[in-house]
Amino acid sequence: MSDIVRMVVVLSLIAGVCSTALTAANILLGPQIEKQTDLYVRGPALERLFGKPAAEVLGNKVIITAGEQEIPVFFTREDQTVSTLAIEAIGKGGFGGDLKIMVGIDLGAGNMTGMEVVSHSETPGLGARIEEISFRRQWKGLPVSDTVALIDDGGTLDAISGATTTSGAAVRGTNEALLFVRDYQDEILKTISELK
Amino acid sequence: MGQKLLSTLTAGLWKRIPPFRLVLGLCPALAVTMSAENGLGMGIATAFVLTLSNGAVSALRNIIPSKVRIASYIVIIATLVSIVEILMKAYFFPLAEQLGIYIPLIVVNCIVLGRAEGFASKNPPLISMIDGLSVGAGYALSLTLIGSVREIFGAGSWFGMPVFGESFEPMTFLVSAPGAFVTIGALLALQNLYSRWRGEKFIQG
Amino acid sequence: MDLIYLAISATFVNNILLAQYLGNCPFLGVSKKLGTAVGMAAAILFVTILASVFTWSVFTYILKPYKLEFLQTLTFILIIASLVQLVEIILKKKSRALYNALGVYLALITTNCAVMGVALLIAKNELSFIAMLVFSSASAIGYGLALILFAGIRERLVLSAVPQSMQGTAIALVTAGIMALAFMGFQGMAS
Repeated sequence: MSDIVRMVVVLSLIAGVCSTALTAANILLGPQIEKQTDLYVRGPALERLFGKPAAEVLGNKVIITAGEQEIPVFFTREDQTVSTLAIEAIGKGGFGGDLKIMVGIDLGAGNMTGMEVVSHSETPGLGARIEEISFRRQWKGLPVSDTVALIDDGGTLDAISGATTTSGAAVRGTNEALLFVRDYQDEILKTISELK
Repeated sequence: MGQKLLSTLTAGLWKRIPPFRLVLGLCPALAVTMSAENGLGMGIATAFVLTLSNGAVSALRNIIPSKVRIASYIVIIATLVSIVEILMKAYFFPLAEQLGIYIPLIVVNCIVLGRAEGFASKNPPLISMIDGLSVGAGYALSLTLIGSVREIFGAGSWFGMPVFGESFEPMTFLVSAPGAFVTIGALLALQNLYSRWRGEKFIQG
Repeated sequence: MDLIYLAISATFVNNILLAQYLGNCPFLGVSKKLGTAVGMAAAILFVTILASVFTWSVFTYILKPYKLEFLQTLTFILIIASLVQLVEIILKKKSRALYNALGVYLALITTNCAVMGVALLIAKNELSFIAMLVFSSASAIGYGLALILFAGIRERLVLSAVPQSMQGTAIALVTAGIMALAFMGFQGMAS
């Protein structure tokens, strides 16, 4: 009997020590990983949305809590006023899972500067063509006040042929981001002004 | 004692060098050796896990009841691998992205469990760690070699630096999947040939 | 349509053994005889699907909602290891015939990176439940296909005159390379 007790005690002790060590490592290095993820994963999308080197804009980041979600928002300033926002959104229901996209918003003009895909797991040759410029550039200049939709659903955006599911996910993500910016714009600006 | 430490230290570099002599850990050797840099990164990550897991297993060898030893080893190894994964994501992000799922797969690399069960569970901590270091270094060396061969002939560069100049037409075959198998097979045959030439009594399984 | 595409891609184009290099140790170890290869393929199919269902559930309902993704490696390997043990015990009790056929291979599967690899790929791509089922079974079928074909080739290889230095693992690896080359021909099927 004592053998079994010993087995259980030793095994649970090892498991306990190990998970504590892991949790500690994760808490300790979490912020560093976040920084690296921003630089390498979000960096390229931000560069294209803002037309500035990633290193300049990566620090301009606030996290806004909307309901249960925490949404990362990046911004740039022009003459001290916040001119452009980049909002990360999840495009639900892509074929290979959810898409992570970033929507650029020009606050002065009230329209979008573009849509960029941060990460996706779509099929190469079909859904993965969402990264192509011919699809993405359709977003430029669309007004923030209206929801976007694919042509099939009475909107203006051309879906990628053979990948309607993926295109739909990008559209849903964009609408999420637009809804968020309409509802939370004041809060975003307030959070940014409190940053310094 | 010093003699034994030294012979353990050098054993991993030739006598037991994985994956050629000790035919274990082939999957990462095939998968991540597209370039010398990836091979070296994977080798160092594995060596790190191997050294520490050997040390931990050896230190605990008298405490762990033999019935649950494999389970305990797996927990220890999985923890070390996760820590390596976190460290790599924090400091070598592009490399971590390139190696992808092959970093967590160090857990099921037979070398790590094999050395824990075959060496560390029977020897004191210091010599076990040296064994881990030596086998790990041998593995890192092999992976870098495989990566170098594939990168030099398959892409015309070494650690990202071009070596052959403009006129060289790279053999893309080598950096693709089949090239990995053929490269390792050829290197293994060369190693056998050398061993036979030296008259070493060693026959590859 | 997308699911069929996923199945073809996992079985042929991105064959887990020849294109993703997962599960090579048993590939070289048990492929000397056709009979053992078939047994191993069946065991892999069984365990991969079962393990995928379990790891997928744990990942989707526990690890992800509570932001515990860093425990992924630890939980996955523990789930797979205990699952293999459990299957072994149940088979021993309930179905002696099946146990006799698969038993030896089950023990080897814990350290088979194919099972763990499929689980990790599913978690990484955040597949849905149906996609997960299709992907895991197609991957396992692809693995079995490559393993059985390769065993057939190796049985012939024994009879041929191979240079002394190339004997054993070396020639097996080169043969696998040629097979991988053949599988590359499937690439056109999925683009």
